[in-house]
Amino acid sequence: MQRLFPEKLVTVITSDVLEEHLVGRVRHRGASGYTIVRARGAGSSGEQSGMLDIDTNIKFHVIMPTERLSGLLDDLEQLINKGHHLTVFVSDVSVLRPEKYTEAME
Amino acid sequence: MSALSNLLIPAVLFFALGFFARAIKSDLRVPPDLAKVLSIYLLMAIGLHGGYALGKADLATAFNSVLWAIILGFTLPLIGYGLLLMTRKVDSMNAAAIAAHYGSVSAGTFLTAIAYLDNLNISYESYPVIMLAVMESPAIIVGLLLASWSRQRIAATGNASEAAVIRQHGMGDGQLGSLLHEAFTNGSVILLIGSMVIGAISGPASMEKLFPFIDEIFMGVLCLFLFEMGMEAARRIREFRKVGTVLIIFGLVMPLIGGGIGLIVGAMILNMSVGGTLLVAVLGASASYIAVPPAMRLAVPEANPSFYLTLSLGITFPFNVIIGIPVYHALAEQLVT
Repeated sequence: MQRLFPEKLVTVITSDVLEEHLVGRVRHRGASGYTIVRARGAGSSGEQSGMLDIDTNIKFHVIMPTERLSGLLDDLEQLINKGHHLTVFVSDVSVLRPEKYTEAME
Repeated sequence: MSALSNLLIPAVLFFALGFFARAIKSDLRVPPDLAKVLSIYLLMAIGLHGGYALGKADLATAFNSVLWAIILGFTLPLIGYGLLLMTRKVDSMNAAAIAAHYGSVSAGTFLTAIAYLDNLNISYESYPVIMLAVMESPAIIVGLLLASWSRQRIAATGNASEAAVIRQHGMGDGQLGSLLHEAFTNGSVILLIGSMVIGAISGPASMEKLFPFIDEIFMGVLCLFLFEMGMEAARRIREFRKVGTVLIIFGLVMPLIGGGIGLIVGAMILNMSVGGTLLVAVLGASASYIAVPPAMRLAVPEANPSFYLTLSLGITFPFNVIIGIPVYHALAEQLVT
């Protein structure tokens, strides 16, 4: 399996009002791209049904080289400290072309 | 009995149907974006309609209405904030976020009141529509200012861990500026005011071509919207227990206070008819669930969304639709005659 290279996948689940802010942060931290999907669920903010603007959640994915990860995690921690409700987890993933994740976003 | 039969209009009955369907756990579902689409249509139609009527209306009265809408928008959240702090059931951050909802308005309640008036063939002025547009923003600003003031007070009491949180917030001018930007560029405010301007400056002949869109299908769309809002309200009402009795009482008393102030402003200060006075009362009584919650979520993350959403959507909205509107109508008739 020498074709695969290790990277980190950061996943954030939060309210869609934070979408623009998150996009701004990952751009600033040098991510090569990101993916957002709409999500439903429940947690410390109550049920998020996705029926109204106010209770729509997003699941935000970004793959980053390990050395750029720490700055982004600082940003996310700062949001949580402000009182925002974020579910953040980092997973180990394997990618085919590591150079793709070091390029800057268009 | 007559008050009850006045409620037998499709819009209110569809609200009840949505509520009922959810309460008995029916598998009935509507597509997730339906309410968002419908609320865009409703704001656009009511804006065009109001703008068209305002184009022919008296500017001095319109200006006076705007002035009083701003006064109401700034005063009601302060009253709500004071009452909430007196209950001692919520902290000041939650009180600020909830109070902002009660100073702003619910277009859904306003439109239900219009359906109610149309059903009784009661005429109403066009000025409350412009008040509806104006009242979206001031309450957001008051909520943000109350929250930032509360943060500073918490910091001043010297709670170290909370003070650290406050510092991270960095309530600099830049942030306040972006929050004010948020309050005034809110999607529903832009859509409503923009549609009003279009309605006011478009030629009457071209506006008449729009009437099938903004007039004839309006009540049908409102039925669909209220149907879904009924389902949302029933879903929220399950969170009753979390909210607690005292807050529920607030959700019932605050609309009566706001509605009472609205009645006085409509009947005595703006000298409106029974229909217009009822609409101003509804503006005072209703709590926002479209414009304010995202703003509070962004700017006052410390507050718990299930508090303000359950109160505005699960308690105050059904209360106004079913009990409030007929009550304000009866009181408006007393006041105006």
